[in-house]
Amino acid sequence: MKKVGIPRALIYYKFSEMWKTFFKELGAEVVISPETTKKIKADSVVAAPDEDCYSTKLYFGHTMALKNKVDYLFIPRFGGSHKTFVGCPKFIGLAEVLRSLFPDLPEMIMPHYNRAKEGDSKVNFLTKAYKIGLKFTKNPFRIIGAIRKALRVQKDYYRSLIIDEETLHKWERSEILLNDPPFINNYDRQLKIALVGHSYVLNDPYSSMNIRLILQEHGVDLITSEQMPRNLIDKQLSKFDYELYFDYEREILGTIMHFIESKTVDGIIHLMVFSCGPDSIAGEIAARVSKRDPAIPLLQLVFDELTAETGLKTRIEAFIDMLRRSEAEQVIFLSTKVRI
Amino acid sequence: MTISFPHVGSFTYVFESIVQEMNRKDVIVPTKPTYKTKQLGSRHASEFVCTPFKIMLGSFIEVVERGAYELIGTVFVDYCRLGYYTPLYKIILEDMGYDFDMIYLDFSKPIEFFKNMKTLTNGLNYLQAFQAFRVGYIKNRHIDLVDRYLYSYGAVEISKGTTRAVAEKAYRLIVETRGMSNIRKLPKIIKKMFEEGVEIDKTANPLKVAIIGELYAVVEPAINLDVMRRLNELGVIAYTPITFTRWIDFGMKAKTRLNPFKKEHFQTAVKKAKPYLEYRLGGKAQESIGDTIWYKELGWDGVVHLYPFTCMPEIISRSILPQISKDYNMPALSLVVDEHTGEAGFQTRLEAFVDLLERKRE
Repeated sequence: MKKVGIPRALIYYKFSEMWKTFFKELGAEVVISPETTKKIKADSVVAAPDEDCYSTKLYFGHTMALKNKVDYLFIPRFGGSHKTFVGCPKFIGLAEVLRSLFPDLPEMIMPHYNRAKEGDSKVNFLTKAYKIGLKFTKNPFRIIGAIRKALRVQKDYYRSLIIDEETLHKWERSEILLNDPPFINNYDRQLKIALVGHSYVLNDPYSSMNIRLILQEHGVDLITSEQMPRNLIDKQLSKFDYELYFDYEREILGTIMHFIESKTVDGIIHLMVFSCGPDSIAGEIAARVSKRDPAIPLLQLVFDELTAETGLKTRIEAFIDMLRRSEAEQVIFLSTKVRI
Repeated sequence: MTISFPHVGSFTYVFESIVQEMNRKDVIVPTKPTYKTKQLGSRHASEFVCTPFKIMLGSFIEVVERGAYELIGTVFVDYCRLGYYTPLYKIILEDMGYDFDMIYLDFSKPIEFFKNMKTLTNGLNYLQAFQAFRVGYIKNRHIDLVDRYLYSYGAVEISKGTTRAVAEKAYRLIVETRGMSNIRKLPKIIKKMFEEGVEIDKTANPLKVAIIGELYAVVEPAINLDVMRRLNELGVIAYTPITFTRWIDFGMKAKTRLNPFKKEHFQTAVKKAKPYLEYRLGGKAQESIGDTIWYKELGWDGVVHLYPFTCMPEIISRSILPQISKDYNMPALSLVVDEHTGEAGFQTRLEAFVDLLERKRE
């Protein structure tokens, strides 16, 4: 059985379900690099070009962890799946940079898909997926079946992840929980915080310093930017004269702008990655939008390989203390005391 | 309603001539960015945004302070942040409390582009507005020509500084020349100016180095610490294929030109880069790689690759460049520039590079 390695970094967190299903259906064994550890981080800092952003550096470490264990490495060159908005250029260049820096890596499967700029249609997507399938099996029906199942799984995943407006309103009224329940504490009121950032920071406990758990321990009810309804985001971003065109950055900025406008959370925490290009633009806009309408506090945390956990904890604690102190001024939630 | 724009290297002369052709007298021409401009820009920009953003912001603030009202900025969809600079400038300048009007010019939509441009002109019709733009892009070719002469003659001039004086004169001549028939005669005049004005050392056998990399870092002397002049002072001919021609020259652009047999520079470069970097990923990433291969084939001695700190596409090409350099035996020096780049360190690295090239030639 052929082994396919997928590094657990960057867009893995968006498309993991699809990729795993696809290769499993083709009869390959899927090897996914372990969760980020200190060793992987140390490897990445050595292996990666020094100016890449922290998350891209981690990708190198994850690839190194898979290097001797697999026959193929699956590193797609993904340019964006929206018809006008694009992704990050790093996603397109990654595979070729890895090939150039480490010629001894196992054979790479690097399909290119870019709907916005190259105009790849659905047919192109299917042909490219079919070509990958031929590496594993000669049976066309099996490949087509694998593609169909993978797409269905991905669709289901999105459906379960992204909530609709009604669910969002229910959450805003504290009727339901969307993520892990916060730990019980002595405070009389549940804090509501929007945790905003790239999916590869939010879902990677190591690179986000376990921020979700820290917040949970403080009795905070979370919503992440990944879960936000897309129509709300588009509505928020159409306020600009010229729309921001980084696809994944839109959901970050849109979420921040939505909560600043609707004022239904106590605070917003924005996780940024050091030297991330789109983040530098969206972060600046978010800070300025928040400054113009400062009712909802916004905390912007920048992560890189040198970030210390203690410093981060202190800042989060201070932020939460500040939110609790300003509780009295908040009118909307005083009536809705929730205990879990 | 004073019109203005940020300073972008010698392209500023093109802007100036387009505005002049648009029949507008109320224009504020930006001054060359200084240390103060960089400071001003970095103070108001976000922390890890790329350096061109900071310097252009500083330039914008300076022209607004001098009384400009209509500011021109470009927008487009690309992988690079450059396309989203202008909307963010607008937000920042608004927060700073300035009164201004930001005008977006979208290069990717030519019809809208000319509509917007027409509103800027002083009562010209569409044809005249296009003519004004045409004068701009033709003058852009001449400006490129002056740049080419400047950094070639500069390497072999006998009394230092004469080439630059002639070039400054040539730039002004280009900006001030009106009328298409006169503009057409300019290349000959410029050539003559340099031939007569500069005394050259005919025995010299200078090295030839191509400057490649990110557009703004290559064309703006303020950000790259005038790397081409520094190379000239070391007796090296410098030339850059990275100019604005690709973006504004509708006479040469693949989609709009009449002659189907002509090829743009970047098309050949991208073709050569395919084995290493197959798909476009914004900026000049593919061209940087393609140009390195191409200039080796043309027999040049080396390349200097410039890019601003945190530039996304160029980091990719910079990571691949060492392999190209090895495969093709072409010395390449990657220099990252930002507002803190020190002159001494920069100079030392250039000197070491030139020494290396000289030794390699022997």
